[in-house]
Amino acid sequence: MTGKRLPDGGRIDRTKTLRFQWDGQALTGHPGDSLASALMANGEQIFGRSFKYHRPRGIMSAGVEESGAMITVGEGARRDPNVKATTQELYNGLVATGQNAWPNVRYDMGEVNSLFGRFLVAGFYYKTFMGIPPLEWGKGTGIWMQYEKLIRKAAGMGTASREADPDHYEHSHDFCDVLVVGSGPAGLSAAITAAQAGLDVLLVEQDHELGGDLLNQSENSDGKREGLISAAEAAGVRIMTRTTAFGLYDYGVAGLLERVTDHLAKPDEHQPRQRFWTVRAQYTILATGALERQYAFGNNDRPSVMTAAAANAYLHRYGVLAGRKIVIATNNDSVYEVAADLSNAGASVSLLDARASVAGSLMESTGSAGVAIRTNSAALKTKGMRVATGLEIASASGNGWQASGSESCDLVLVSGGWSPVVNLISHRGVRPVWNAEQACFLGPQTNEPISMAGSAAGVWNTDDCETSGLVAGVDAIKALGKTTKETQSAPQIGGWETPIKPLYEVQVPGRKLKSIVDPQHDVTAEDIRLAHREGFVSVEHLKRYTTLGMSTDGGKMGNIIGLALMAEALGKEIPEVGTTTFRPPYTPVAIGALRGQSVDEHFRPLRRTPMHNWNMAHGATMQMAGLWHRPWYFARKGEGITEAYIRETETARKTVALCDVTSLGKIAIQGPDATTFLNRIYTNPFAKLGVGKARYGIMLRDDGFVMDDGTTWRLSENNYFMTTTTAHAGKVMVFLEELLQTRWQDLKVHVTSVSEQWAGSAVAGPQSRDVLAACVEDPAVMTNEAFPFMGVREVTLKGGIPCRIARISFSGEMAYEVYVPSDYAPAMMDLLWAAAEPLDGCLYGLEALGALRIEKGHVTGAELDGRVTIDDAGLGKMASPKKSFIGSALRQRPEMMKENRPQLVGIKPVDRSEKFNAGAILCKTDMVSGLGEGWITAVTHSPATGHWIGLGFIAGGHEAWQGKTAIAADPVRKGNVEVEIVSPHMFDPSGERMHG
Amino acid sequence: MVDRVSALEGHYTPGRFGSAGDVGVTLTEVRDLTLHQVAAWPETIGEVGGQIAELLGAKSAPGPCSSCTNAAGSILRIEPLKWWVFGAEAPEVSDEMGATLDISHSRTHLRISGPKAAVLVNRVLPLDLRADAFGVGAVASSALHHVGVTLWHTEKGYELFIPRGFAVAVWEIITETAAQFGAEVI
Repeated sequence: MTGKRLPDGGRIDRTKTLRFQWDGQALTGHPGDSLASALMANGEQIFGRSFKYHRPRGIMSAGVEESGAMITVGEGARRDPNVKATTQELYNGLVATGQNAWPNVRYDMGEVNSLFGRFLVAGFYYKTFMGIPPLEWGKGTGIWMQYEKLIRKAAGMGTASREADPDHYEHSHDFCDVLVVGSGPAGLSAAITAAQAGLDVLLVEQDHELGGDLLNQSENSDGKREGLISAAEAAGVRIMTRTTAFGLYDYGVAGLLERVTDHLAKPDEHQPRQRFWTVRAQYTILATGALERQYAFGNNDRPSVMTAAAANAYLHRYGVLAGRKIVIATNNDSVYEVAADLSNAGASVSLLDARASVAGSLMESTGSAGVAIRTNSAALKTKGMRVATGLEIASASGNGWQASGSESCDLVLVSGGWSPVVNLISHRGVRPVWNAEQACFLGPQTNEPISMAGSAAGVWNTDDCETSGLVAGVDAIKALGKTTKETQSAPQIGGWETPIKPLYEVQVPGRKLKSIVDPQHDVTAEDIRLAHREGFVSVEHLKRYTTLGMSTDGGKMGNIIGLALMAEALGKEIPEVGTTTFRPPYTPVAIGALRGQSVDEHFRPLRRTPMHNWNMAHGATMQMAGLWHRPWYFARKGEGITEAYIRETETARKTVALCDVTSLGKIAIQGPDATTFLNRIYTNPFAKLGVGKARYGIMLRDDGFVMDDGTTWRLSENNYFMTTTTAHAGKVMVFLEELLQTRWQDLKVHVTSVSEQWAGSAVAGPQSRDVLAACVEDPAVMTNEAFPFMGVREVTLKGGIPCRIARISFSGEMAYEVYVPSDYAPAMMDLLWAAAEPLDGCLYGLEALGALRIEKGHVTGAELDGRVTIDDAGLGKMASPKKSFIGSALRQRPEMMKENRPQLVGIKPVDRSEKFNAGAILCKTDMVSGLGEGWITAVTHSPATGHWIGLGFIAGGHEAWQGKTAIAADPVRKGNVEVEIVSPHMFDPSGERMHG
Repeated sequence: MVDRVSALEGHYTPGRFGSAGDVGVTLTEVRDLTLHQVAAWPETIGEVGGQIAELLGAKSAPGPCSSCTNAAGSILRIEPLKWWVFGAEAPEVSDEMGATLDISHSRTHLRISGPKAAVLVNRVLPLDLRADAFGVGAVASSALHHVGVTLWHTEKGYELFIPRGFAVAVWEIITETAAQFGAEVI
């Protein structure tokens, strides 16, 4: 094949030149070219090396089914492998390189692989390297894991850039009455019909130009294309080009990929590279066309072998004559016009038809164009080393074939029939149906609002396709309750004068041929037969064993041939063998497009507290806590985290310290039945909590395990303010809503998340009261008598800031939680800090918060991990025996009441200078193995005790371990540390400090 | 009284950005939000609705997914038993009738307007914004960048109520997306 650009014709702009690079050579093309057409016009023939055998490959098609011209586009961070040259629009400055070849695709050292082709059959690597006897007899894949690395290097396609993707991507949503996929005559006609009836129609086309196959027809069909397009525009059809409908999902949802800048030399910095659309349509019309397929014959994958439709596209769309001396092999009518056009364009053309006879009119029109036609003939084997230089021919002999001479040529065109694109309809969980008459799969009837139209529905002629589209449009109109006067009926399936002769492989007795079925994965006809001989009968197994149809084209080229050969080997018909399932995406979708904007700092939404800026301005180092960004510690000059948190912890115990606790969940509970509601969800009694009082509560799940803990404040008779842990805020809110909406619809209670409404600070330490007294407008409310432990007050801070305060403590010190409406948070912090700083107070973060609570034995999400009962947490006394509450029945299951369950304990190293880690397993000293007796959930260096301490769970609790030590086993990090098991209340166990 | 501080403090810079040419979208943070939730019980929904309607001098309170507006403020129906009163104080409702709650500080209020406003909104959230599906007055709960938000279509544009803690994250997503249309922050 030595293609040449014709002096005129085609849809390219010869007055403009585009410069691009192919494997280091500077070449030119024209606007309107695909990379493939430009390369072909430059006389290039070899574009790639095959996956396994490194066989040279050239252009095989002119579209998305391309399996030969797989190339890499771009450089550096923008290197994009496995791009089909046939679908890449040419632009100025495009840089393309060959792949899977060294030193280049023309002279590839890897070609040596093809000499060993007889060994590299289906399953070769598994058979050879897995479970190698006698080393791995009957077990394991250890050796395989090593070999696989080498094998992967030798096989494969292009390689992606290892640099970060410099482009951005986005998601988008759209809605329409009718989604039409494909803008050929059927798609355009369907869109026009539906839009003219007043429906909102979205037409998507993967190409950059509308028209589908009309683009590949001779110029005199251009009037028709333009007429259809202007009619569509006039009818208000919304049109998206460069957009592929890659998947069809439930309830009319379609996934689209829009290539926004892939065709531009200099992408607009404000545009994403690609846009991932979710479209919800009430009705979907699939006018996705049909793909011409080959049949298998010897060396049918050589450069210079392509589909007849491809040569037609290069001729009419791109003005390139793909060969000078052309042999066309067919089994159907579709190539006759192509043959005549190629001949008229100056090529010498001969045509081999596998059928015994053809309609006289076709013979005549094509013959009169100078095409030599032979019936009962087929392609047997291409001749030539790298590219085809001739074709050995087979002629019909009984039920088979016999060699029958050869013909020199530089291009072999093959048509083994047409496969309607039924991929999208297959995504709906229905199986395509085999149509023996047309030798193709067709989309089945579905009860979803989806129609197939045009050649996607097995209609071959252009005019019939247009009618088919119109009828699909009418279907949509009727389904959506509109009216139309159109009364045309659907055209017949098919449209060829002489029926197709099913043909999937040509071989002659006694000849060993390398006949490729799936060019992308180098699956041969012999591989299929081998798989059959080895006992594979299911197509699903065949597919996985041979990797047929598992490459980037998803089986568009080879699947049907493979199925047919399998059917033949099994002595069955294709429908009995069935087909594998087409799954999304129809064509590859970049991972970047899937993730959209959810990357880097937007990988997940970051949640900031209202004092975020204030904390940062005061020296906070931040840490992620779920989605929240929270202060971790506030280092002063010369301090690292350790010095900082120890100072913060000591300050909280000595003077006063402030901590942003906004992230705690906060729920308003309102209504006459609020008290009843709380009494049912908390394990401890809430019925008698006085107004102006707070109470610590535990909530269980239905199954009796602890769900969450927190304090709830009674603001007025029917108005409560509940706080939850940061980690479980969402879960608790959802659970409360569920209870009210499903189980207890009779309760007059509303729950509303007010986590965002209120900003909170803990004020902890012996001087906390002094700080608050300095901040409130009326200091008298802050006295011990006016504001006792567990009291709640709504006050006004200086500056008129409304504020609610509870005297509660997580740190074990006298402490308060102070909340103001969020927009006043910085003002509150200014007030508190102005009062605390002169008292030698400090700000503290999560690390000190952790140290303070571990010293006190207070639990958090680390302990309440969903496996812990209220007794395990040492809080069994809070489970009221006098009432029933959520979880009260199931918490009493025997397994959950067992004496020896792991229970909350404090942990200290026997050697006080030792350190141990959270996550360590607690074991008996004489049995450091297995699952152990418990585990460590949290550790800190405790300033109050002067050494490392921890919290954890161990069988039987601390009383069972009196006089005994345990081993904190941490085999992959620290090793073993001998520890003492003590009460979790390691500091101020009587709580005197807290009550102040 | 001290001034309120927006969640977008330090992130909100008025001015033109993105593609040159016409301004496709205009972004505005509407500050000092006044927002109250009014909730009814199933059997008092009519009465509470009447009370709210009276507040605005409207005939009746808006039904599900809709709103009504006059100079005094707006009422949005956001849940079967709940309204939001926007820009006005809530009526007094007894405990036996329902419950009111001040949530003025819980949301950041953004307005997206301009010829490309609907396209921008559809870049980030999956609601059918075509005129007959989401005309002026429509209200819906949706999600944007994994964050639950309330969207309200008014004469002025698309009003978004974003949970305050996520305001900066959502603001960044919206401004990054808006750049392609040619955008202006007021």
